[in-house]
Amino acid sequence: MSDNTPIIDARGIDKFYDAHQALRNVSLTVGAGEFVALVGPSGCGKTSLLKILAGFEEASAGTLAIDGRSMIGVPSSQRPTRMVFQKLALFPHKTVGDNIAFPLKLARTDRAETDRRVREIMGLMHLSEAYRDRYPAQLSGGEQQRVALARSMISNPSVLLLDEPLSALDVKLKKSLQAEIKRLHRSVGTSFVHVTHDLEEAMMLADRICVMRAGRILQIGTPSDIYYRPSGTFVAGFIGETNLIAVDLERRGSAHAFANGAIRCAAPEIAAQQIADGLSPGRAALMIRPEMIALESAEQEAGECTMEGTVDEFFIKGASIQYRVAVNGIADPVIAEVQGTATPPADVGERVRLGFALADVFILATE
Amino acid sequence: MEVKPRSWRDRGLQAATLPLTAVLMVFFLVPLGLTAVLSFQSTRYYRLVWTWDLDTWVDVFTHVHYWSIMAQTMTMAAACVALCVALGLPVAYAMAHRVSTLEHHITVLIVFAFLTDAVLKTFGWVLFLDRTGVLNGALDAVGLGPAATDILFTPSATLLGMVYNLLPYTIFTIYLSLVRIDRDLVLAAYDAGASKTRTFLEVTLPLARPGIFAGGVLVFVLSLGVFLEPKVMGGGTSPMAAELIRQSFETRVNWPLGAALTLVVITIGAVTLGLAALVLMRLSGRREATR
Repeated sequence: MSDNTPIIDARGIDKFYDAHQALRNVSLTVGAGEFVALVGPSGCGKTSLLKILAGFEEASAGTLAIDGRSMIGVPSSQRPTRMVFQKLALFPHKTVGDNIAFPLKLARTDRAETDRRVREIMGLMHLSEAYRDRYPAQLSGGEQQRVALARSMISNPSVLLLDEPLSALDVKLKKSLQAEIKRLHRSVGTSFVHVTHDLEEAMMLADRICVMRAGRILQIGTPSDIYYRPSGTFVAGFIGETNLIAVDLERRGSAHAFANGAIRCAAPEIAAQQIADGLSPGRAALMIRPEMIALESAEQEAGECTMEGTVDEFFIKGASIQYRVAVNGIADPVIAEVQGTATPPADVGERVRLGFALADVFILATE
Repeated sequence: MEVKPRSWRDRGLQAATLPLTAVLMVFFLVPLGLTAVLSFQSTRYYRLVWTWDLDTWVDVFTHVHYWSIMAQTMTMAAACVALCVALGLPVAYAMAHRVSTLEHHITVLIVFAFLTDAVLKTFGWVLFLDRTGVLNGALDAVGLGPAATDILFTPSATLLGMVYNLLPYTIFTIYLSLVRIDRDLVLAAYDAGASKTRTFLEVTLPLARPGIFAGGVLVFVLSLGVFLEPKVMGGGTSPMAAELIRQSFETRVNWPLGAALTLVVITIGAVTLGLAALVLMRLSGRREATR
């Protein structure tokens, strides 16, 4: 198998639950050792897709190959995939050691080898040897997560499927386990497919993110693609806060320019890679991330583009201060996130000028 | 305000259970005490004499006959438990996992059968199993000759009746423990590479064990007290403890003997329950031990 052969190759997958269609013509490839996150609002089909990969559900249409082998009609017990369940699904009647060793026991691995590998994986997951004879209920939430990961990884699967296993944890524990998962992914050559509704988590962990909505894949791309070059306003609005400003996109010779009465630019020309694929001139949305907008004082030199407005409200978020500025001619208040200072640079009701660089905008289709 | 989980030490809870405690004391513990007192008396010419001696107990412990009936009662109870679990488990499993759309209909059917008067059902079996009954009529019709079976009034018929009347106890207890098993645990076993059989043996069965145990104990204790089935279906061919006690009180008018035998059966039942509770506590305790 050559290096560019995908580990998972899913094509044209449909899934019906009675009359309800959960997946519509979904195609996804995952490379060897790649970390892909499936994100989207609840009911978008991400969990259905994961269940189809795991073999708990059969696709209604389409093909699926894992490790170059067709998975149609192959039960989950015969697949080179392992699942980490949302509620972990540790066997309450088995000790931690027996839980972790369960896949090896089923594969009839001899005792010495089993013992060696259980030791090894427990070491890798920072689980103390003393936990081996305890029962899952005697462990903390974080320790149980590690046991679940260890059980899934012990038989070196080609693909590890993670079904929001961190969603029930508190923020601090979540952060430490995210780091743990990232580290685990780096130290093994396994492909990870991670379902989550937490975008920050997806950005942190994944090599590629697959954004889903209503059974369709909207965009597959690197975290920076998804963040800075979203395929549409849904993806743009789903991942982090953003400004979407209605503009007219026009062609000027070989370049493009945008126009909005409220935005003044010296030369509003933008490069082709700043425009979503296949977008033609006409009504469009200009996306600019709040952290790319600066608050300018009268004496300070203006950015390439400027808008003027009145401060609606501001929030001190710690490292940054978020301003919501009402600008005449723009429907929603413009959000600007500026460097935090002890005294906020502007107060509610104050007139301010907002500036941004042309290189930071991205033009996409309105939906 | 801190809300504490209620325990039996809670004074309010103690007060609330007082009426029931009182009823139980008067109508359960007092008669039990009287039974114990009775076992130390004697009868002469069908009259109770307050002798306060151990004659009855000596009588009980020296008569092999009583103990052989006790042993037979135990054997029947054990066989009944084994059959009820063996038959109840697949029914409960099917109700929990295989027939989800019919689950409630089946439950209603079983409850109806369960709540129908046992005397009625037991006599129904007599009509069914009789030499000239429904079963033999049907067997004759398919060409197996008249009176092909003749199991009525045998110990087997007694066992059949007991299993029939007690089976719902195991079905429901096992069903309840099966539906409580998280479906993800079963999927996790498949995912780890286990076949369906292996998953059943490694995950489903161990997790259903408390239900199987509880059902088994219920059936065992109830089996110790059956008198209808041995009498109606067994036709006296399989004397059991309850019938022996009834005879001691009614036919032989030997109340002290009846009382002593009653205490023997109660002791056996209590010891069995105690042992079962211990095993159950060990089974579940080690998992739910606090951190």
